[in-house]
Amino acid sequence: MIRARGVRKSFGSAAVLDGIDLDVHGSEVVSILGSSGSGKSTLIRCMNGLEKLDAGSITIDDFDVSLPKDLAEARKRSATVFQLFNLYPHMTALQNVTLAPIQVLKRSRAEAEATARSLLDSVGLGARADAYPAQLSGGQRQRVGICRALAMNPRYLLLDEITSALDPEMTAEVLSILAQLAKTGTTMVFVTHEIEFARTISSRIVFLDKGQLVVDLPTEEFFAAEGGMARPRISQFLSKMRKD
Amino acid sequence: MKPVSLLLGSRLTFDVTILAPHVPFLLKGALLTAEACGLALVGSLAIGFLVAALRTSSSPLLSRAAFVYVDLFRNIPFIVQLFFFFYGLPEIGIYIDAFSTGVIALSIAGGAFSSDVIRSGILAIDPGILEAAEVSGLSKPVIFRKIVMPIALRTSIRPLGSVFINLILTSSILSTITLNELTGSAKIVASDTFRPFEVYAVLLVVYASLTYLVSLAISALHRHLNRDRMPEVA
Repeated sequence: MIRARGVRKSFGSAAVLDGIDLDVHGSEVVSILGSSGSGKSTLIRCMNGLEKLDAGSITIDDFDVSLPKDLAEARKRSATVFQLFNLYPHMTALQNVTLAPIQVLKRSRAEAEATARSLLDSVGLGARADAYPAQLSGGQRQRVGICRALAMNPRYLLLDEITSALDPEMTAEVLSILAQLAKTGTTMVFVTHEIEFARTISSRIVFLDKGQLVVDLPTEEFFAAEGGMARPRISQFLSKMRKD
Repeated sequence: MKPVSLLLGSRLTFDVTILAPHVPFLLKGALLTAEACGLALVGSLAIGFLVAALRTSSSPLLSRAAFVYVDLFRNIPFIVQLFFFFYGLPEIGIYIDAFSTGVIALSIAGGAFSSDVIRSGILAIDPGILEAAEVSGLSKPVIFRKIVMPIALRTSIRPLGSVFINLILTSSILSTITLNELTGSAKIVASDTFRPFEVYAVLLVVYASLTYLVSLAISALHRHLNRDRMPEVA
């Protein structure tokens, strides 16, 4: 499980995370909602070790991401998909997906390529395995990004606003893949603005506001009139997002 | 105009055929130039990558040391560096033959310029790409070899080409340390034949062709490294 305790992070004088406690258990899908600047992405970046915590701790299966020795193991158990895809531009889709399995998990090239091809097939990109990122659409790139993460066979998938840079059609492409993954029991931490989609796939919804975890509820309760919606901050946020 | 026509009038023949007996000698010089430049090209690329890696490293000591190296060798005339290695070092008991001195000096000077070009290529890499590599668990050396170097080369290959061409042109200065490469042999032929006009005209053409070949190769390499941005052949 992923366990965050009293996580604090500031950039300069601005406190971005202000004492976050959060548990994510195996095969849960936890969506993190909140307006821009509420600290959602920073929380993900603390989980994968891209940002150092100022205080508190985050452990992934008891491996502390603040300890360099543990971080390597924590990173083997989790994989991140990024908002701006961050594919390796000089490598084909297939090479993007096979690089880490070959280098980090020490898989043979043949084995890694077989896995990568079946992953790319499963997201409808079997025929584009030898294309470079620049030759793919945004939605296709993000699907490669998801395959690259899944190729590491992670226990936890960290998804950082992965549809924010996509148009609605491409967003739908990517979300349908996530829906499949959720069904297979992949544990996901899903930072998003796609409220309705979060509602369909999440087991829990967490709401961040100004670096604080305001609400952590099972999905149904979160959207229930007497649950999360009873809170003015949340109903205000949701009505605003739905209008957009 | 008058002096010019007078000069032309003094010797109207332009006859390269008189150089025929000297062709094997000049070819030997050209070969020496090619060898020295080939080795120096590899050397300066290796030094360039190493120093660029140090300059972009998080260690203040290493990046400082690399910075001093670049600043030092970029700001001293090449001929002075060369004389220091060839005529200066023997005074303290270090003897290196002319060819090796030439290759080493060219590599060191070329490495300083290359490293600057490569460094800017490294700094231009989208940090998000490096973060993706980092969180996937790749080690730093693997990230440098598989991600940083090839992406940096994509943007720096053209300016590196200018550095390499400059290297070839600068190699003519090696003639000043008894190395009879292309320019050195041409000087000898010119004084043997008393036909400097023909000899140096040929030399112009040879250097121009040599550097033109290099720029063709660089263009081809640039196309290869950026093949993903070329129209796809279905």
